[in-house]
Amino acid sequence: MTTVMARVKKTAANPRVFLLFLIVLLVVLFGSLKPAFLNGPFVLAPLMSSIAIFTVVGLAQMVALSVGHMNLAVGQMASLGAMVMGLCYDVFRMPLILGLLVGLVAGAAVGALTGWIIVKTGVNSFIVTLAMSFALIGLVPAMYSWLSEGAAFTSKPAGLDLIGRQTFASICMGNTCGTDAVPLIILPAILIMGLVWYLYSRTRLGREILVTGSNVKAAELSGVPTGRRLMFVHTLSGTLAAAAGFMVAASVGSFTPAIGSEFMLPSFVGPILGGTLLAGGFVSVIGTFLGITLTLVIRKGLDLFGVGLETMNVLLGVILLVALSTERFRLASGGRRRGGERPSGEPAQTDDPDQPDEALKDPPESVQTEDKELAR
Amino acid sequence: MSIYTHHRKFVLAAAAGAALILAGCTSADTEDTTSEAPATSAAPESSDTATDSMEMADFSSVHVALVPGGAHPYFQPWIAAGDDAKADFGLGDMVYNETAEWDQTKQNDVLNSLAASGTNAFGIFGVSPTDINTTFKTLKDAGYAVGSLASCPAGDVNEADFCLSTDTEEAAYKAAKAAIDAIGGEGTIAHMTGNNVDSNTQRRIVGVEKAVAETNGAVTLLPAITDVDVDLTTAQKAAADLLAASGSDLDAIVTTAYNPAVASASAIADSGLDIKLVAIDDDPTILAGIADGSVYGTIAQNPVGQAYVGSWVLAELSTGNCTMVTPGVIVDSGSFIVIKDNVETYDDERQAKSTVIMEEFKSNLLSC
Repeated sequence: MTTVMARVKKTAANPRVFLLFLIVLLVVLFGSLKPAFLNGPFVLAPLMSSIAIFTVVGLAQMVALSVGHMNLAVGQMASLGAMVMGLCYDVFRMPLILGLLVGLVAGAAVGALTGWIIVKTGVNSFIVTLAMSFALIGLVPAMYSWLSEGAAFTSKPAGLDLIGRQTFASICMGNTCGTDAVPLIILPAILIMGLVWYLYSRTRLGREILVTGSNVKAAELSGVPTGRRLMFVHTLSGTLAAAAGFMVAASVGSFTPAIGSEFMLPSFVGPILGGTLLAGGFVSVIGTFLGITLTLVIRKGLDLFGVGLETMNVLLGVILLVALSTERFRLASGGRRRGGERPSGEPAQTDDPDQPDEALKDPPESVQTEDKELAR
Repeated sequence: MSIYTHHRKFVLAAAAGAALILAGCTSADTEDTTSEAPATSAAPESSDTATDSMEMADFSSVHVALVPGGAHPYFQPWIAAGDDAKADFGLGDMVYNETAEWDQTKQNDVLNSLAASGTNAFGIFGVSPTDINTTFKTLKDAGYAVGSLASCPAGDVNEADFCLSTDTEEAAYKAAKAAIDAIGGEGTIAHMTGNNVDSNTQRRIVGVEKAVAETNGAVTLLPAITDVDVDLTTAQKAAADLLAASGSDLDAIVTTAYNPAVASASAIADSGLDIKLVAIDDDPTILAGIADGSVYGTIAQNPVGQAYVGSWVLAELSTGNCTMVTPGVIVDSGSFIVIKDNVETYDDERQAKSTVIMEEFKSNLLSC
């Protein structure tokens, strides 16, 4: 009985369970007070589209947070990736998938460049990504003005509208179709969530990233090529941002410089609410999804109640404040040192709880060979 | 199996359960996916003229939403005009929602929420001219009446029922012509305007360039200063920078966006330079400047007419009393040069224009 009670207490203390509880509570509350909240095509489907897009945005930030870095240019990387995709479709008439891949490569490239600068110069990721953000804010609109009419790429390859704006109602078997309350755009989001979860939970690379985020010096001494891992996470962050840019373009209908301009705040709120540590070493894919879902459910509910702009922003600001306070509390209660470094004995974690121990039991093979420069 | 594994399974199971609850299936035979959507295809009442139809119409079922792209002083007159339309035409409800925050995705969310809450007629200033047609089409396909107000979609297609907007290129052309007249047909002009990636801004730039080109080189146009309509602070900095860098060489400034107009008026007055300013819109600061001579003139737009006439047209369409003769038709809501001579009377001209637009809809643009 004691064991069961202890498990119940631990379960209740899990931030993801708490988030899920809050989401269910709010959905029931909003649905009861405003039945329109359960309107399929005009509330649930758009809500889930937003959740899908911003979950990918959150993951783009989460991978940077996993090593204790941040990516302030996440929106501009999305904008750049989307611009390259739009260019591929509009000018080069590429098919959907090929243009998507080229745009993802562009996002990866700018992410890799950012990571390379951080690693080689040792400048804080905050500074480098802020600088990258300013550079792209100038570059992307200029490129649009130069390459397009009306500062937008409006060509739509076959399949773009289907993935961006259609629901399962357009998928039929005989006379039976899916629901119009669930958009098809959740499919790429689920795929991306699965891949990121697999990376961090089931691969050696993911574990090395988390160990790097947990304590970079310990990781270096264990032979983890920390420089390469840092570059990899920024490359991955850029790739995911570009994917989010594609999803926005598909959902609104064209590729414009404005894509990504609203990404930065949600990119932090989702992961932090979900339990990802700002200092690195712990990520939660499910938590990021739940954090994004909670904020968007609240926003949608406030929308339906006709709450004004100022009140809405105040409430969303309070959510962020609570998230950051929770993060601080967790740091304090976890006995972490000031400056965000994890004590060497504390394991790096994902939301797959079986993995941390394995990460420590399974030291990298490259202990003596890789990345000596950074190890020094 | 650890407690954490239980957590994960619980979360996944709960998520799956929620998806099942939300899912459900529809029949391919059921085409009406929005039971709350209004019927716009109802047969119009038999009447000899559109005016008769308007007088007899019951608009109590019409819930109009006026949705700008975000908070901006230009749209404030929409609130009173919408309330007037509600009272004058007997609309069921009138909502003004400015929470889109200049983001097309957020504006789509706002529109979807309004649709789910019972709004059945939409007057929309689309955030992104290149994307807004997709939004219009979604609402139209669901059976709602949709008007594009104060801005038309980019390109040649308008998926809304109609667009009632300032012809931005024409308004900018008029402003530049007024400035050229003010400086005697020769000199140097600067143009301050809004978001460079907005197609309407590009049209304003074209309008100013067209007027300057007609002077055959007598007037020099400095490169357009864009992206200075974000807020008043940004505009004030831009105006101060412009005067510091080129003030002594400038003869006139044309502003085709709200914030730089207000900021330039103050900056010129403070500097004491002899620069003719032709502004946009009729902010009290601008009108006071025109009255005391520190501002040469402004180009007033017609936001009241857009909201008032637009709401009435939406009501006619929403109830099925009328249909558009040419769906997607673009109607100029008017732009009016205001100088010292007519600063007290220009609003009469504007109200007259609104009446003309309404008559144009009744006589030629609506089929009732």
